[in-house]
Amino acid sequence: MLTRGDRILLALTAALLLALWPLAAASGGQSGDRMVVVEGPSGRTAVPLGEEAELTVDGLLGHVHVQVSNHTVRVLDAGCPDRICERTGPVSSPGSVIACVPNGVVVRVEGRGDAGLDAVVR
Amino acid sequence: MPGLTLSSGERWAAHGVAGLARSRRIAETSMLIGAACVLSFIESALPPVAAPMPWLRVGLANVAVVMALAYSGTSMAAAVSIGRLVIVGLATGGLAGPGSVVAASGALCSLAVMGVLARHRRVFTPVSWSAAGAAAHVLGQFAAAAALLGSTDVWRLAPPSGLLALPFGALVGAIASTVASRLPHGRWPNG
Repeated sequence: MLTRGDRILLALTAALLLALWPLAAASGGQSGDRMVVVEGPSGRTAVPLGEEAELTVDGLLGHVHVQVSNHTVRVLDAGCPDRICERTGPVSSPGSVIACVPNGVVVRVEGRGDAGLDAVVR
Repeated sequence: MPGLTLSSGERWAAHGVAGLARSRRIAETSMLIGAACVLSFIESALPPVAAPMPWLRVGLANVAVVMALAYSGTSMAAAVSIGRLVIVGLATGGLAGPGSVVAASGALCSLAVMGVLARHRRVFTPVSWSAAGAAAHVLGQFAAAAALLGSTDVWRLAPPSGLLALPFGALVGAIASTVASRLPHGRWPNG
């Protein structure tokens, strides 16, 4: 049975995570046409999401193959142990991220529509 | 006590009793580490619980950690958690890799939060320790991932992952409570 303290703690934790959601969603977004940005140990590559492209970037464990097709981007092959990046599947929404931590590679979609803002002035 | 002296036989007996208690503690910790490793391997063979978030797991291995925390305290829980990470890392060949850094970060954050909550056993049960620990685990993992990748973009995934981790953590705490309530010892809190 949950105590009163349990219920309060769970509610506060859920409320805190919900409060952090807009802040987290606003991190690293930019306006403009949607671009696929791939960052890794060897550098940064950007291609428009509307293009058909296959990218191969060097990660810490080997090559990471990224496919941009049908206005989506996905990781085809990364050679990492758990293949979480491959199982994330295709993404297309501005702000979407596919991360391969063992390879040190991040694939993200940048573009208009991030957090519902047209621009962020800092 | 002033003036109290023990015979050599009494000193040996006290040493033996302390040694037995230490041996018992080592055995109990080892059993829980073994259970955590087995649960970890079983879970790795299961499909992800949420297809859009393939990195999210129920965290069955934490049943053993929560049991250690409630049965003994933070030190045994830390031994079970870290022991499991080392053994699974050695078995899978990923001990020194970034995956282990991410896992260790999550484990330490989880232990810190659960350790604080476990000090207040009259107010919080293992269900909420585990749920809050699961959310802290997820946030700790994302912090490590962001640091390793040198990118803050991964933080976008943290709040939904943390929210999903709450019910899974509560489930783990409930399982740990149920299993421990069947144990013959009477040291389980609130039961």
